[in-house]
Amino acid sequence: MTRKTVVYFVALLLVLSMALAGCGQKATPTAAPAATQAPAATKAPAATEAPAATEAPAATEAPAKPVTIEVYYPVAVDAPIAKILKGYIADFEKQYPNITVKPVFAGGYGDVKTTIQTTIEGGGKPPALAVMLAADLYDLVNADYIIPLDDFIKASPDGQAYIDDFFPAFMANSKYDGKIWSIPFQRSVVTLYYNADLFEQEGIQPPDSWQALAEAAQKLTIPDKRWGIEWPSGWPYWLFQPLAIGNGQNIIKSPTEVAFDDPKVIEAVQFYIDLSHKYHAMPEGVQKNWGNAPADFAKGAAAMIVHSSGSLRGILKQANFKVGVMAVPGKQPGTYATVTGGGNFYILKGVSPEEQQAAWKFIQFVTQPKYAADFSIQTGYIAARKSAYDTDAMKAYIQKVPQAGQIKDMLQYAGAELSCMNLGKVRNIFHKYLQAAYNGEMTPEEAMKQAQKEADEALAMFK
Amino acid sequence: MTAVSPPLRRSRKAPAWLPYVLISPTLLIVLVFTAWPTVQAIYTSFFRQYLNIAKFRTPTFIGLGNYRQLLTSADFHEVLRNTAIYVLGTVPASIVLAFLFALLVNRAVKGIGLARLSFFYPTILPMVSAATIWMFFFTPDYGLFNTFLQSLGYHGPQNWLGNPHLALLAVMIVAVWKQAGYLMIFYLAGLQNLPQDVFEAASIDGASWWTQLWKIAFPLLRRTTLFVSTIAVIDAFQVVDHIFVLTQGGPSQSSSVLLYYLWQVRFEDQNVGLASALTVVLIVIMLAITVTNFLLSEREGA
Repeated sequence: MTRKTVVYFVALLLVLSMALAGCGQKATPTAAPAATQAPAATKAPAATEAPAATEAPAATEAPAKPVTIEVYYPVAVDAPIAKILKGYIADFEKQYPNITVKPVFAGGYGDVKTTIQTTIEGGGKPPALAVMLAADLYDLVNADYIIPLDDFIKASPDGQAYIDDFFPAFMANSKYDGKIWSIPFQRSVVTLYYNADLFEQEGIQPPDSWQALAEAAQKLTIPDKRWGIEWPSGWPYWLFQPLAIGNGQNIIKSPTEVAFDDPKVIEAVQFYIDLSHKYHAMPEGVQKNWGNAPADFAKGAAAMIVHSSGSLRGILKQANFKVGVMAVPGKQPGTYATVTGGGNFYILKGVSPEEQQAAWKFIQFVTQPKYAADFSIQTGYIAARKSAYDTDAMKAYIQKVPQAGQIKDMLQYAGAELSCMNLGKVRNIFHKYLQAAYNGEMTPEEAMKQAQKEADEALAMFK
Repeated sequence: MTAVSPPLRRSRKAPAWLPYVLISPTLLIVLVFTAWPTVQAIYTSFFRQYLNIAKFRTPTFIGLGNYRQLLTSADFHEVLRNTAIYVLGTVPASIVLAFLFALLVNRAVKGIGLARLSFFYPTILPMVSAATIWMFFFTPDYGLFNTFLQSLGYHGPQNWLGNPHLALLAVMIVAVWKQAGYLMIFYLAGLQNLPQDVFEAASIDGASWWTQLWKIAFPLLRRTTLFVSTIAVIDAFQVVDHIFVLTQGGPSQSSSVLLYYLWQVRFEDQNVGLASALTVVLIVIMLAITVTNFLLSEREGA
């Protein structure tokens, strides 16, 4: 080999390796989520209890050809979701040997949606199944990412009974255009946690109205030591909604109509502000304390907090006092309100009918009462199905943790979570002006009028 | 500068096309990952396309409609103002701190290893983890940052992330803290490469430490400063991870900067056309800064 050929050869090699590196780089975004999967070796304890054959929905329908589906899911609570899901999947695969389920942990709810969106728009293949926010329904339908589930429901024996077994408050976010688009999975409600020992000590009854709530909070406040109530507002619409609903007017009327400037909503904004400005029972302004509030409550730095029902487990683990849970009191004595939240199962477009069928089987499998109850016990989410509360495991759990049962009973006061067309835009508008009101930059009335105006513009395209 | 490049040795005649082959991998990557997306962004910025609105999912040509919308949008103006404050605030502060850190750790003093580590530590920490830690530092009443400030006699508002007048400052503090240690490395390398004889000569002539620093070290490090300021500016536009964790651009958009706003428009509002127009604005700003920087360096280097 002459020197010249060596130079050419090296140059060629360099070009090739760089080109390959370039391709590798391009492939990374789609390959990355799969790499973050929890180690396969760990087996959840649940995996050992195989379901009784009688519980299994139509095991004979298993497709003849092997099918592999992916399920993208977020982790949004302090629980080993990955490990729990792996256990369920092991059970599922035992029953359906032809179906392989690959769970893909994709980050938070936003990350799941963004990953799917970029995959689809980049011409890639989406997962067959994903857990995304119940409130994302309209955006997902409009984007043409998901399929309705009615055909599957009709084809299943007891399909209608299956759907009717879900709590109506949770199903409210699944229906659009006369069709069912998602199945409730990891669901929660806004919960008012109170320090029951402190209440007893001070001779205070659990509040049954705004007035009683404000007075209790005021009485329990010790300046520089304890707040009467903490009510996070860094991402404020969800925790605000019970106030509006409790005053008789939810902020959302229909998928294309919001009620931000309704006098009752404005009054609810004013009540939130009054808790700090009039009663001095809550930190002033926008409170960026979603992460800290449960810990503050558990260590006694706050007598009450408004938070997700999903935080119950963590709070009970830390608190050394009796923890009370209840819906947020409404304005009128004896009224209460809360709002649902959390994620549902969606089946995606762009995968084969066999995979969609397999995804549906998996949904049915993990929403069986037995698994719904187990998932609720292990994570703190509310079991989405009524019959899950008839299982022995759940009964024993509620015996031990009565708060879990009380949270389920709060569903009767639940209003619909903010969910509408152009959700991202409308929600950002509402956040902007709600926070402006909380921070005293605008009066509640100015802020909500402006929010209504801008939201109407954002929704005009849909009418 | 004293450094003179050695004369190129051309003992054997290289083929004329060899340089092109050697540069082609880089060129290919730049074309595929920088040039092509830029062209695409410019193209789609002339279309109306909302991914979450069935009837607007297919792009329609609307000319400069998206740009017109930006010009009249109060949100966009606020975001531009926030971005200007953010960049003008964090870049000089990071550079000055980086230079001071470098001076400090460049000396052979006992325990300097710990100082080096603590200055550089923020750099190796992923931004999201760092921001999560800072979230707790910023906690009112008992957060470390507030406790520290109180020990210095601070009695102002403590709600750093929820106060519309403080939130932008809070994310800037985190950015400077994160960036200074990284930039320090370049100054440190620069300092250690400085010729020692000029300092010795200056010492003999009776120049003070301060004079040596500002009259000799700093001018000699001019190229380092130029490089550092370029990457600092680019990073200031590019790194917004901590905003996702700390404030989500809030309260009321007061800590939203250009790239964060772009993400909101693209992935929350699903407005592809407007997001493309924002991308073009971002590219134009960055290009203007880089070209200015380059021209300045050429002039000074002459």
